[in-house]
Amino acid sequence: MNGRKLAYYPGCPSAGTAVDQDMSTRAVFEKLGIELAEVEDWNCCGAAEAENPILVYALNARTLAIAEKDGLDIVTPCSICYYNLERSNMALKEDESLRAKMKEIDPSLDYRGGIKARHVLDVFINEIGMDELKSKIVKKVNIKVAPYYGCYIGRPPTTAFDDPDDPILMDQLIELIGGECVDFSYMKTKCCGGPLMMTRADIAFEMAKNVLEAAKRAGADCIALACPLCGMMLDAKQPDIEKALNIEIGMPVIYITQLLGLALGIDSKKLGLDKAAVDTKEIVGKVV
Amino acid sequence: MPIKTWELDPNFRNEIMNEPGGEHLASCFQCSTCTLGCPITEIVPSYNPRKIIQMSLLGMREEVLSNPDLWICLICQTCTARCPQDVVVSDVLGAIRRIAEKEEEAGKLKIESPRPLFDKAFLHQLEKYGRLYDIGLAKEYYPKKEGSFIKGMRAMMKDYKDFGMRMFKKGKMGPKAILPEKIKRTGEVKKIFEKIGD
Ligand code: SF4
Ligand code: SF4
Repeated sequence: MNGRKLAYYPGCPSAGTAVDQDMSTRAVFEKLGIELAEVEDWNCCGAAEAENPILVYALNARTLAIAEKDGLDIVTPCSICYYNLERSNMALKEDESLRAKMKEIDPSLDYRGGIKARHVLDVFINEIGMDELKSKIVKKVNIKVAPYYGCYIGRPPTTAFDDPDDPILMDQLIELIGGECVDFSYMKTKCCGGPLMMTRADIAFEMAKNVLEAAKRAGADCIALACPLCGMMLDAKQPDIEKALNIEIGMPVIYITQLLGLALGIDSKKLGLDKAAVDTKEIVGKVV
Repeated sequence: MPIKTWELDPNFRNEIMNEPGGEHLASCFQCSTCTLGCPITEIVPSYNPRKIIQMSLLGMREEVLSNPDLWICLICQTCTARCPQDVVVSDVLGAIRRIAEKEEEAGKLKIESPRPLFDKAFLHQLEKYGRLYDIGLAKEYYPKKEGSFIKGMRAMMKDYKDFGMRMFKKGKMGPKAILPEKIKRTGEVKKIFEKIGD
């Protein structure tokens, strides 16, 4: 991270289902005094649907090349975008012939390997650091949280920035802001089912239900997470899951950027907390 | 069922290893770590990535490519993270899926799962706009999946009725999401698809 400025990659869900994640990310960085410069004309990372690695590298080479012009590392709040950006960065940095191939496709893909992609959670803990965060915290987020990491924070090993079996970065952040982490280790890194939502909703619902019910059993007030697809499955689809499986859950789901924002004293509306499908008022009310 | 050795395709392993992502297939030593950690097995007990890899190495091309389980992998990377032989298992499965899609395009295979249709509809949005356009995706995917425009619209309404209203009320489906968010230099992204395909 060069100084206190980063390139920002919001990711496609920022315009719709994860607008709250985008709002809270921008608000938190502003409060921390770190400038986010949105990558000019960024394109989609390919998500989980672009399966050909060469296609993924090409799509992300374009975004990386744009950010590289300003010499800024890219930060994103989306785990899947992070994975695609950083695996492309690594592959391109390593392989000159791959870089040449990209340039041949289009000059706009001429990425030289000069920057890195980072996930917000990684930046919070490993760049800004606990000491600085602590000094800026003004409120206590007095709640029990089930920290849910999902897939791309600790996996695959090439791009992971936390432990694959027992990741801890989110736990540390939650404890720092006065929360308590419930025992959730066996569920922390399990997939939410999101990638199968549109083609095998039955499996996807079952997987999401397992995460939600585990959090409930553990006595959590809410689930904290850091991926818009997990957010869509666990929050936006939660009423559909309840209806389809004839169960009652009512588990609030909150982005880690929103929780941190509350601790930094940012207004809950500015963090998009009123946009969650499962009401978050009770959580906001416990912030003192 | 015994393997019919005369039906094996000894070149299948090379076919996979020549696909980007499939390179490490042959390092597999069949320990089953991938299957044991796979979350899908908790819901579909017969699901077995180790077996798909073994059958691929043996050359059981037809059986592998027509296996419906190929399409229920979550790409969650648990197998990849745990494999002691550095087989990038989820990428290997992706490589096999791409071979299956090519077979279908060539008219030699019928894939029952709608997943290839979904992935294609998704990528078509990127090709057109440079970013994902949810409504465009749904409008392309549902009719293809259901086999007709009317049936597609009906299925879409069913899935989106409550969900869409909920998102709208919460301000998550505002004007920004109703119209596609098109990037400025779409030509650059179009070039990518022209030269690599989807
Ligand atoms: S974990 Fe790796 S080596 Fe073991 S069976 Fe799976 S792919 Fe083969
Ligand atoms: S990537 Fe696919 S095969 Fe591997 S553990 Fe996840 S669901 Fe199972």
